[in-house]
Amino acid sequence: MIKINGLVKSFGALEVLRSIDLQISSGEVVVILGPSGSGKSTLLRCMNGLEELTAGSIEVNGVIMNAEQSKKERTKKVREARLHTGMVFQQFNLYPHKTALGNVTEALITVKKMDKTKANQLGEKMLEQVGLSDKKDEFPSRLSGGQQQRVAISRALAMDPTVMLFDEPTSSLDPELVDEVLTVIKELAKEGRTMVIVTHEMQFAREVADRVIFMADGVIVEQNEPEAFFTQPKTERARRFLKMEELEHREGVKR
Amino acid sequence: MEVLIQNIPFLLQGAYYTLLITLVSMFFGSLIGIIVAIARLKGNKVIQAVARGYVSIIRGTPTLVQIIIIYYGLVDFGIRLDPLPAAFIALSVNNGAYLSESIRGALQSIPKGQMEAAYATGMTPWQAMRRIILPQAIRIAIPPVGNTFIGMLKETSLVSVISVTELLRSAQLLIAQYYSYMPFYLGIAVIYWIMSTVFSFLLNKLEARMSIYE
Repeated sequence: MIKINGLVKSFGALEVLRSIDLQISSGEVVVILGPSGSGKSTLLRCMNGLEELTAGSIEVNGVIMNAEQSKKERTKKVREARLHTGMVFQQFNLYPHKTALGNVTEALITVKKMDKTKANQLGEKMLEQVGLSDKKDEFPSRLSGGQQQRVAISRALAMDPTVMLFDEPTSSLDPELVDEVLTVIKELAKEGRTMVIVTHEMQFAREVADRVIFMADGVIVEQNEPEAFFTQPKTERARRFLKMEELEHREGVKR
Repeated sequence: MEVLIQNIPFLLQGAYYTLLITLVSMFFGSLIGIIVAIARLKGNKVIQAVARGYVSIIRGTPTLVQIIIIYYGLVDFGIRLDPLPAAFIALSVNNGAYLSESIRGALQSIPKGQMEAAYATGMTPWQAMRRIILPQAIRIAIPPVGNTFIGMLKETSLVSVISVTELLRSAQLLIAQYYSYMPFYLGIAVIYWIMSTVFSFLLNKLEARMSIYE
């Protein structure tokens, strides 16, 4: 499904990803954990071409993007790869001038050239799936963060991608709104969707992941099944990270 | 006062040309403005430089000089324009430069995530610009563009120098005929003021209508 080989990504002199190799198979739910600045979001953004590769290659559902391609070829491949991936952003990035339904149907109409009636039917179905049928005519500014993110998820799902990418989907939500979004993602996991999720929600990661990838300083430090990773991390770096997260979590609960 | 009332139809005809020139130059100015704004943000180095040069020259020279160059100056190159088309061209080109700055600012104010979200669903840069970025930018650009519009309404008086019988020149013609200044000048001042006020009102309405999603 996804094959990443020798991926390097630099921003100027700063090397954010240093030779990443990763394979993700169909139906797998992969959660990427790591301290901030470890490159996990960048890795995710490379998978749908939002970042240009400095070296190496990424294959998404048979579409190969690599650093050697000419600009024109790259543009073509990136667009193709994007049709196989759905992306959910930390900041939702809903289109503020379109209603919830308009957000979901936009790409169906412009990219998939679906006719409007059909797109609306599908859009309504997608919103129903995330429990927002009654909000279909609301503009994003009238929705809570959790609702906005659920619309963003159905916007991505509507394009019927083979893999869903989540970039810290709950990080900018108020604590009480986190669960509604996580519940939707868990549902998708149950349906057997291929997903790559960058998150800071440890409990959620443990529940939903088939495999946990732990990143730090631009490399994959270790990867394992969730139970094994959380109970017996192999590396000192991961142990330290989990301890920190646990402390923060406890403090969060106390507050 | 009486002569003014008698000649109101003639002045209204002048007002019609003022309005026509304003609308035409705003329309083509907006098209130029959008293209130049996008050229400055997304174009390659050469295109960016050309766009920047255009804006710099237009903003750095008096509108009156631009009008005179288009009407009288181009004759040297064998291009002889009638006054009205010359006015359209001069003011559209002039307007385009100012509008491009407002539109560029508006485009830059749209968060980067909007473009990324559009790309992520497979849109081309052109689709994302047209469907996602521009509609939001235009909404943001309405107040500054509205100011340019009101400014242009008044600036059209400059084309009286190339004998376009817009509002100012129609007053001047009447003055030459009746040897009376104040009634006509005050009369057209009132007409300019009414037109500006009506357009301000309409622009506010438009802005309110376009912000339903906020």
